[in-house]
Amino acid sequence: MPYFKTSVEWYDQSSLLLKARPTSTRISSKYTVLKPTSSKIKKRQQYAAKQASKPAGTTRTSSPPPQSQNPEEVTVTFTLKTYDPESGTCLQYETNKGAEVGRLIGNLGRLGRHMAALPETLEDISAPTGAEGVSTPRLDESGDVKIGGLPTDPKAGASTGGKKKKKGKK
Amino acid sequence: MGRDHLSNDEFFAQLNNLFEHTRTKGHGSVYLTQKRLTFESSSTPPTPTKLADDPLWDTHPEQPLPILIRVSNNKSDKRPGTDRKDVEKVKLSTIVKPDELDVFYARYAEACKAGMSGLKKRDKKKAKKVRKKKKGGEAKV
Repeated sequence: MPYFKTSVEWYDQSSLLLKARPTSTRISSKYTVLKPTSSKIKKRQQYAAKQASKPAGTTRTSSPPPQSQNPEEVTVTFTLKTYDPESGTCLQYETNKGAEVGRLIGNLGRLGRHMAALPETLEDISAPTGAEGVSTPRLDESGDVKIGGLPTDPKAGASTGGKKKKKGKK
Repeated sequence: MGRDHLSNDEFFAQLNNLFEHTRTKGHGSVYLTQKRLTFESSSTPPTPTKLADDPLWDTHPEQPLPILIRVSNNKSDKRPGTDRKDVEKVKLSTIVKPDELDVFYARYAEACKAGMSGLKKRDKKKAKKVRKKKKGGEAKV
């Protein structure tokens, strides 16, 4: 399964997977610090040298050139993975931005509510029975289709669109 | 698993240690995993049992279930020619009760934000400067 481009996409798909298979699905996140290998350092040095020689000829770029990277700088990534061993579904997202961590852990918390079989958010408590009544038959469909691919997207988007807008406003 | 689960407070203390360790070492990984607690124990409510005639047996349990959180690092061995040292595998686990979930995740987010300091920071100064320049230019025109 390829990596998703946005964390929102990852969250949407993961929540669908968790709804379908709440018991077997697990979410693992990995925080990695990697020292570059010697070949990587060499590559970076070469790249830096290339960049340094370039701007002399092309001065049209108005923005200042990106800060030169220390060739021995460590590579730090944060990877999220939702995996369901029963169906083999694997959803991944990777980032290297520190600003995203808080939001991603918040997402983990919200997905945790699915795992714990709690209502999705506190706001939903106002109409829990109605929402469940609507969502259970839909689960029936998505549970089957989900394994094949991602054709259930539009339905899911329609069902959860309202809630997401609320979250975005916060 | 022979080890006991840690209490939430103890878990956070150890998690911070683990992040600190990775930071000082400058190399390594921290794995965080969460899943529904599915085995029966005296302190937890019984998990939903599999029913043959209901394919969605686990989607609607009678009671909210606790969540199991596991944390580990990567074990590494000493290697000649590098400065790598022996690192013991550290494994932590804790159980979050459904009613404590929100509180736990608030703390979890704080701990992770503090611990994952190696990730790229937002370049606020640069962005502001560029914006100001653009705005100023437009205003003059």
